[in-house]
Amino acid sequence: MAHAAEQEYTTTGLSHRKLLMWVFLGSDCLFFAALIATYMVYRGQSLVGPYPIDIISVPVTTISTFVLLMSSFAMVQALAATNADNKRAIVGWLLTTAALGSVFIGFQIFEFNSFKNEGLTLGGNLFGASFFTLTGFHGAHVTLGIIWLLAMSVIGAKGRLGPKTALDVELLGLYWHFVDIVWIVIFTLLYLIGGFDTGPVLPGG
Amino acid sequence: MAHETEQTSHHPTFKQYVLVAIILFAITIVEFLLIWDRAGVSDDLGIAKIPLLVGLSVVKFYIVIMFYMHLKFDNKLFTTLFIGGLALAFMVGLALLGLFTAMNGNPRTYALDRAIPYVEHAETEKAAETTTPAITGTTETETPVAAGPLALSIGAVGDSLSFDIDNMTADSGVEVTITFTNPSAVNTHNFVIVQADTKDAVATDGTAAGPANNWVKPGDSRVIANTVLIGPGETGEVTFTAPAPGTYQFVCTFPGHNFTMFGNFIVN
Repeated sequence: MAHAAEQEYTTTGLSHRKLLMWVFLGSDCLFFAALIATYMVYRGQSLVGPYPIDIISVPVTTISTFVLLMSSFAMVQALAATNADNKRAIVGWLLTTAALGSVFIGFQIFEFNSFKNEGLTLGGNLFGASFFTLTGFHGAHVTLGIIWLLAMSVIGAKGRLGPKTALDVELLGLYWHFVDIVWIVIFTLLYLIGGFDTGPVLPGG
Repeated sequence: MAHETEQTSHHPTFKQYVLVAIILFAITIVEFLLIWDRAGVSDDLGIAKIPLLVGLSVVKFYIVIMFYMHLKFDNKLFTTLFIGGLALAFMVGLALLGLFTAMNGNPRTYALDRAIPYVEHAETEKAAETTTPAITGTTETETPVAAGPLALSIGAVGDSLSFDIDNMTADSGVEVTITFTNPSAVNTHNFVIVQADTKDAVATDGTAAGPANNWVKPGDSRVIANTVLIGPGETGEVTFTAPAPGTYQFVCTFPGHNFTMFGNFIVN
């Protein structure tokens, strides 16, 4: 029995690894808060274009948002399959999650590329700087999650995932859902609310 | 396998997961329809969209952390850790937004408007006060004015983007000191004298030069003289020698002001 591996003794009775993941997610909130707040502070302060209304396409990003939300559904199915010890389903759902995450990243690459072609660059104006920094770091989080998902799929394909190692999948799931909720915030603020911003609102009117 | 230390492992059922996914999908569709101009509700809602959109996102956020991340069924310590981080994050955001909003727009302009020249080797504050009475000090105001130098004044009109006079006159070769008063509560201005019919071109180049250059392109040959940026309620002055006879223009080159805020400077 690999008892020790799955239920270590802790003073709180909670898994240290899971606690660590939640502490990390709590602190990652601060990381994104700084970037989101920076975007909101500089909203409408760019003196030269392109401005959000010139380039943001809300319909396209609504689709990629939907894809990311559905990837979270696939992720919870992967965890459910792990608890049910359904080896084929574990790998299937993990790969589905990774595939949906990759589609999201594909949309982001397409978006970044078309924005660049329309003149939005990291150093061009405040909108470009704060937009690319924020969405770029989010994309990096998603990319890291995809790598983690693929690695977990390999472990699953070797038959090493099951109820006893469900925590491994659960931690991955927590990270993945966190990336999803960060996008919920970004999508609302940068696209739904900020996507129609025009030129500068100068103090002089 | 029931372990004695096992946490509350009540996970939602497949049906509940599907239901959550459908709710998340539906909310996203509603959000999209709220802002999609062809759905027809965007304009009717106006600014009311923003609290609606924020509210819907909060619902999505809550559903994901409670069900997909199991916080509803898990130990409360996890919730405390995460909500704690989230609350701090929220405060960081509010503090930054509050700070920058208090600066009334562009932080750089704000800083420049309030910048005080650094006085090197200032022995004491008292000494600095007595030796440098005016930071704009281009002229010795206490010195009796000779017949030659000409003092003129001009101001902006309240919060509007206009000067209070349309024409100024001076004789060629005379040293002219122009005092500009900005009574506005919100607007920053400057006062620039330029060659005839160049006010808009100078202002365009000034916009590119940025507030660090007082919205005037450094070394612009069309510029005869200019003040620094004069913030709300402030007064500034510029001294120069009136150029060759002819008609010149004066203008405020703060971006966008040049279209309404200008006049003729006539040299005889």
